[in-house]
Amino acid sequence: MPIAMNTNDRHASTWNRRDFLRTASAATLSALAAGDPRQVLAAEEEKLRPTADTVIVLWMGGGMAATETFDPKRHTPYEKGLDPDRVLSTFPAIDTAVDTIKFSQGLERTAAVINRGTLIRSYTAGDLGFILHSRHQYHWHTGYAPPQTVAAPHIGSVIARTLGPLNPAVPAFIDIGQRFDVGEGEELKAFHQAGFLGSEYGPFMIPQADQAAASIRPPHGMPPGRFENRYQFYKKLVAQSPIGEHGSDHQRESLLRSLDNAHRLLSSPAAKAFDLSLEPKEIYDRYNTGQFGLGCLLARRLTEVGARFIEVTTEYIPFKNWDTHDNGHTRLVDMKAMMDPPLSQLVLDLEARGLLNRTLIVLASEFSRDMMTEGRPDQQVKNQVEVPKVIEELKYYGMHRHFTAAGCVLMFGGGMKPGFLYGKTAEERPCKTIGNRVVIEDLHATIYRALGISPKLAYEVERRPFYVTKDGLGKPIVDVFA
Amino acid sequence: MNIKACLVSFAILAVTCTLNADSPAKLPEPAARQVDFHKDILAILANSCAKCHAGGKQKGGFSIDTRESLVKGGESGPAVVPGKSAESRLIALVGGLEPDAIMPAQGPRLSAEQISLLRAWIDQGLPWEAGFSFKKTRSAPIEPRKVAVPAAGPNSNLSNPIDLILEPYFASAGVTPAGVVDDRTFMRRVYLDLIGLLPMPEEADAFLQDHDPAKRAQAVRKLLRNSQPFNQQYAIHWLTFWNDALRNDYRGTGYIDGGRLQITDWLAKSLVENLPYDQFVRQLIAPMPESAGFVKGIVWRGVVNASQVPPVQAAQNISQVFLGINLKCASCHDSFINDWKLTDAYGLASIFADGPLEIHRCDQPTGKFAPMQFLYPQLGSIDANAPQAERLRQLAAVITDPGNGRLARTIVNRLWARLLGRGLVEPVDEMDNPAWNMDLLEFLANDLVEHGYNLKHTIERIVTSRTYQFNPTSGVENDREEYVFRGPEVKRMSAEQFVDAVSGLLDTEYEKAVVAPAALAAPANVVVRRAGARAALIHADPLLSALGRSNREQVVTDRPKLATTLQALELTNGTPLSTLLEKGVKKWSESAAEPAQLVEQVYRRALLRSPTAAELVLAGEVLGAPATPDGVEDLLWALIMLPEFQLIY
Repeated sequence: MPIAMNTNDRHASTWNRRDFLRTASAATLSALAAGDPRQVLAAEEEKLRPTADTVIVLWMGGGMAATETFDPKRHTPYEKGLDPDRVLSTFPAIDTAVDTIKFSQGLERTAAVINRGTLIRSYTAGDLGFILHSRHQYHWHTGYAPPQTVAAPHIGSVIARTLGPLNPAVPAFIDIGQRFDVGEGEELKAFHQAGFLGSEYGPFMIPQADQAAASIRPPHGMPPGRFENRYQFYKKLVAQSPIGEHGSDHQRESLLRSLDNAHRLLSSPAAKAFDLSLEPKEIYDRYNTGQFGLGCLLARRLTEVGARFIEVTTEYIPFKNWDTHDNGHTRLVDMKAMMDPPLSQLVLDLEARGLLNRTLIVLASEFSRDMMTEGRPDQQVKNQVEVPKVIEELKYYGMHRHFTAAGCVLMFGGGMKPGFLYGKTAEERPCKTIGNRVVIEDLHATIYRALGISPKLAYEVERRPFYVTKDGLGKPIVDVFA
Repeated sequence: MNIKACLVSFAILAVTCTLNADSPAKLPEPAARQVDFHKDILAILANSCAKCHAGGKQKGGFSIDTRESLVKGGESGPAVVPGKSAESRLIALVGGLEPDAIMPAQGPRLSAEQISLLRAWIDQGLPWEAGFSFKKTRSAPIEPRKVAVPAAGPNSNLSNPIDLILEPYFASAGVTPAGVVDDRTFMRRVYLDLIGLLPMPEEADAFLQDHDPAKRAQAVRKLLRNSQPFNQQYAIHWLTFWNDALRNDYRGTGYIDGGRLQITDWLAKSLVENLPYDQFVRQLIAPMPESAGFVKGIVWRGVVNASQVPPVQAAQNISQVFLGINLKCASCHDSFINDWKLTDAYGLASIFADGPLEIHRCDQPTGKFAPMQFLYPQLGSIDANAPQAERLRQLAAVITDPGNGRLARTIVNRLWARLLGRGLVEPVDEMDNPAWNMDLLEFLANDLVEHGYNLKHTIERIVTSRTYQFNPTSGVENDREEYVFRGPEVKRMSAEQFVDAVSGLLDTEYEKAVVAPAALAAPANVVVRRAGARAALIHADPLLSALGRSNREQVVTDRPKLATTLQALELTNGTPLSTLLEKGVKKWSESAAEPAQLVEQVYRRALLRSPTAAELVLAGEVLGAPATPDGVEDLLWALIMLPEFQLIY
């Protein structure tokens, strides 16, 4: 059975307002006691009117080639004896709902909904030397290049810390689809965290979307009745504990409050949103292109009950998924088939529910790919993939090197201009940014602006300000706002 | 600027002037809400006033460095009348009431909103953050200072110098400490603090029945003895502390391609042998291969910021860990938060570098090089022409020179913070801050040095004091008031203490150890205290991470103190804990004990006490008769969630 689709459910007014206030004051109290990093506001702080309440990042982990997806160039079909330098795109371009925008073949459904979104083609990744996916992913997600002298928070943690949950019964930062035991796990953990902001604002991890229900259910094998009884028993035991007689102390308060929050979250009606089995089969199937597709469905359900920040990843696994070191063409057929249906469905479903205008969807990747260039054209770095002088086998046909000088970002809803194209790239190799360059600070500033957060907002750590965009210098891309 | 823009700004200027000249400017009303000094006021003062009136500058004799100097005002009299913004000259000047003396004299005028905030601030009594000053920070002296320990009063039976030093402190602070804890609380506290484990019920019984007045000191000595059964447990417990501080872990960023080295074996051996702290520091700074990981740092592939190249990491980390100095800001530019300069950071970092280390300011090369020297050159020089290994030996000698009082002060403060829940100096990484009792800090530091840098001596000194044994306090610290020590803080079990306590209670292995340092290979006669590896020796997992084990990518000297919702979720339905409970419950539910007996045993093991009558009734209801495995599991879960279990009182 589908869960309630009432859009009002997303706002604090409909659930217990006292709960909300309790959570809010609890946060303040714990902030005082724990030396929670304090906000530092610049004197010239602007008052920003938010255009979005929720952000969904769809993460194309591993490096999504722009010329094979949302920025197609001249198509060169496969044939034996190809000169690799001639190949810019291995797919033909297709029309989209917007005359001025072409996509790569295989993205027909997203092409049909791009009139609801903005396409940025000029995202230029950080210049971090030798390419390491996890370092660029760290950079994308925190706005800072690793290593840092203090643990930099994930953008989701900054948002969770700054705005708090939209619905107190839904974790403010939910991360869907990334396992840590699939390679470079330690490097991935390094940015899947709240860092110095404190673990309260860290990600609620759901490594596999189809297992999401388990993460909010009682421990396995425990019926709900017993779960509830166990908690009630606990409460009674706490009341009996002689130590309770010594009066209150903040350590004890914080422990009891945290368990209370967890229990409320696990037994809240909103928890049903995690259970994909409650989705009608027809809709479920429409999303089900694998874990990523189901992650998009989960993101939609969580948005309906008031999630604040969700990231769904195609999952970064070295040499898998978007990390195409070989067979780029054939593998991208599959990747597009995996991504196109759920992405477009998510846009349409949120629109149909009246949620798209307050939900910002951001699809992005750590960098793009190219057949020839490793790094950026004017400063190439050590090649990690052999490219033969002449292509004699299909496995060499694809974008196998890591390209940082131009990449695509899709943004739907949340105040973005519909059907809008931003940024320009060269038509010939190197297909680098030639207009309206966007760097991570500006992309973050744009997301923050949509949520009403200043790019100059800072948190104090070790007596210095740590800005939510590097040095507070991020500039929102004003052109993409409707 | 084009002509049109010029005209526009001229027009605005003209209008402003006209307003000021012709009509008496009206002050904005004070803001109606409660203002926050840090959030609302500091930025205004810093941006609009500090340039001429702070950090030692006092144009017109006026300085805003401290609340006192602000109120006092300058050549033309008091600047502020607390409680009365309308009568405060500061407001008149920023509000433009005196056209010839509008403040700020340079830069843009304050907005109406800013003025109304300042007015509210003054009207609300000019709240100021305790200890805050625009003045450059205090620099603690380096040299050790002799401290005279007061004699015990005529009716006093105190003998521990800590207690003797604090007697006058309590008297002058008007604090009457709330008595010492009972034996049971002491036992639990001292076991968890020194070896990280709960006492066994038999140990607790023996202790409670012992009537020797010296039994607490004896128990402490037993736990700290350099021999079994407790020496290894001590080493494993403190391994976690040092792993955090020296960012040593068993996997993590950098290890993937040899960009990082473990020092686990060396660390375990040092702790088991209680290596004197000066040698410990020397071996980390001028390392042998087994201890090289700390100054080697984390080497990432690709280009890293100049302030994060390995020699600069080494400079930052040895300063932070051993000396309580924050060199992070100064690694990028002259620091805004203390007096360290970029050249100081590079002077130290150069000692670690293989070749000349060019100074980078904010990641940009400057073409300059810093003279190779330690932060306090007066302690000794470094021969810039010597090979690197020799330079590191010289540096190690300089840092551990008896003239460097900071080394001992920093570590004794860390130990005090671990054992009493809060440092004498806070934060523990900022040793230029004053201690709440300077004599005590100095005494403990000197005492460590005089006892051959024996850390166990300092720990014993602290935990055998009456002060350590006081009943816990649990005040929320207030920014606006000076800290007053009233007794030890209630502490939260660390991730490792919690997991060890639970797997001990269940007598069930949690996870297999992933490291096996030779120094910890248990001799056959070691008392087996519990099944399985201790949590200090396993990989971080979702439970340990949620409970605050850091990922050790940065130096961590202080774990988060309060509980979070994500932790509670992990404790409520996380797989690691529920799996452990499920496994461990078997033993308890197969124990064939009557429910009442079972409850008694479980309580004694977990809390070192018998259940009360009311608890017995409640537990009986959950257990069922005869006890069911589900009932046992639920009882155990509820018990380990109790503040009485998870907190160290």
